[in-house]
Amino acid sequence: MNPRVVWTVARTTFREFWRTPEALFWTYGFPLLMAIVLGFAFQPAPPAPLPVAVLAEAPEDLRTALTASSRLAVEVVAAAAADAALARGRVAMVVGGSLAEPSLRADPTRPEAETARLLVERALRDRRDGPGTVHARFVAEDRPGARYIDFLIPGLVGLNLLGAGMWSIGFTLVMMRSQQLLRRLLVTPIRRSEFLLGYLAGRFVLVVPESLAILAFGCLVQGVPFRGSLFAGALLVLAGGLAFAGLGLLVASRAKTMEGVAGLMNVCQLPMWLIGGSFFANERFEGWLRWCADVLPLTQFNRGLRDVMLEPGGVGAIAVPLLFLAGFATVCFAVALRIFRWN
Amino acid sequence: MSGSAAIELHGLRKVYQKRRSEVVAVDGLDLIVQRGEVFGLLGPNGAGKTTTVEICEGLTEPTAGDVAVLGRRWRTGEDQQIRARIGVCLQETKFLDKQTVRETLELFACCHPSGRSVDEAMALVSLREKANARQVALSGGQRQRLAVATALLGEPELLFLDEPTTGLDPQSRRQLHDVVRTFRGQGGTVLLTTHYMEEAAQLCDRIGIVDHGKLIALGSPPELIRSLGGDQVIEIDAAGIDAVVAAASALPGVQRADLAGERLALTVGSVHSVVPPLLELLAARGIAMRGLATRQATLEDVFVHLTGRHLREDKA
Repeated sequence: MNPRVVWTVARTTFREFWRTPEALFWTYGFPLLMAIVLGFAFQPAPPAPLPVAVLAEAPEDLRTALTASSRLAVEVVAAAAADAALARGRVAMVVGGSLAEPSLRADPTRPEAETARLLVERALRDRRDGPGTVHARFVAEDRPGARYIDFLIPGLVGLNLLGAGMWSIGFTLVMMRSQQLLRRLLVTPIRRSEFLLGYLAGRFVLVVPESLAILAFGCLVQGVPFRGSLFAGALLVLAGGLAFAGLGLLVASRAKTMEGVAGLMNVCQLPMWLIGGSFFANERFEGWLRWCADVLPLTQFNRGLRDVMLEPGGVGAIAVPLLFLAGFATVCFAVALRIFRWN
Repeated sequence: MSGSAAIELHGLRKVYQKRRSEVVAVDGLDLIVQRGEVFGLLGPNGAGKTTTVEICEGLTEPTAGDVAVLGRRWRTGEDQQIRARIGVCLQETKFLDKQTVRETLELFACCHPSGRSVDEAMALVSLREKANARQVALSGGQRQRLAVATALLGEPELLFLDEPTTGLDPQSRRQLHDVVRTFRGQGGTVLLTTHYMEEAAQLCDRIGIVDHGKLIALGSPPELIRSLGGDQVIEIDAAGIDAVVAAASALPGVQRADLAGERLALTVGSVHSVVPPLLELLAARGIAMRGLATRQATLEDVFVHLTGRHLREDKA
């Protein structure tokens, strides 16, 4: 091995990288910034109380026993609402029965189900006089519509739309920009909006079928119910796809390098992966975190799709997420068109 | 401005801000390109040719000056009308790798409200047999001809070709020259940039020589060559030749003397009347020649005379 060759190649590579400030920032600066921000955001703190539902018809002493625990956030709900709360992941467990013979219902495949069981049993044991074993009846929730998989499939569709919308659109655009192809198109009489719409449509054409394939897998193989209107569901997938594609277009509208566009995409995607409600319910969040989660397009999409899949209803039932996503797509597209870097 | 010219530039200036300094790319350029002519902008790299062309194409905004293209002005609500009447071949464009020649042309054809068919455009640049070949399968010359074909799709009145033959082999270059001649023959106007003086001499009706952002000479190739005062050049290669520059240039019949290293180029009206006294002069001064050549004067000589440098750095 010739060390001079290695040294020269290394020096050349580094110099090229060092002289591309955009790439430098997104490769090294951004992760550092993220570490600092997340470090402050997730300071060591006692765990938040775990939300559980207690049925409204349960006796007072059972409710009191649970509310006495500082580790549990107890919500008193009717039986029908309890099912929905469990299905949506808003609560980890539904408690019914009596203090002597409590009944605990949860989906054991949810990561928080076991913790909820231990905390509920401890709260009930503490309420009793003296040590003893709580003979709780544990009911594993396996009815379609209330399991974790029923929660997860809509979330995965949302993540798929997000990823496909952003990555497939952003990278090719930046490549076309760096190869002067956008510039070449700019000197033709093509309308910019027509080009961008056509481009979006071309990249978008596989996104919806792919989402439908995930949905079909969930429904046919996993038995995930689709109780609402199929038309409303399709409309939501379309609106979601357009919203994420619009975001991808916006992110790629100025970037000059692959590193730059990848960094910007990470900035947009990371919060949605963390608090967009795909893997766990973000409806439990409070304060600013809840507000942040609510304004994410992924949150709106996931909520809308769960609404239309897990509960009977039509377009009216998902009007809010539909309007939100359509508005988001419109704003993204309009801003991208305005600031788009052709040259 | 008359509005009858294809391009009119007055007081054109472009200054780029680079960190704390300013780079003047175009410095007060005045130029008129008439309709129906092939006009060549000739100059070394960095002379301001591409910036000038990109200003004419509407891609770059000038810092100052007035630009009219086909009687219209950019950024006055007439951009689309101008774009519909021009064809552009940028210095460097990479089309999508997995698109065929036909597909690439279809993309650009849809950009124009009217114009040539894709088949016509392919025929113009002799790419019909490559219609179904993807970009990756094309040679450099074929890619360049495809780029020209995309520019011809809208049946433009004015064609911008920015160094269209750079890096091409002689055959590909000739094929592109034929395309330009055909276009001109049909009444089209061409603004061409190049740093190949042979190309400029063969193709262009008029030439503007640009250096440091300024137009330093303008005329037809014969006019520019005649401006040297003679159309023949005697080149002498010899060590110590610099000592006889003044004496050589004073010889009867010598119009100009240009020294580049150890090579002296004398522009003369008649070779046979200058060579004998020149040889006597060299013998008297004891200078031994390594070589002596005579040739017709070229645009390169014009450029060397005007700037003291060769047009292409590799010839310096």
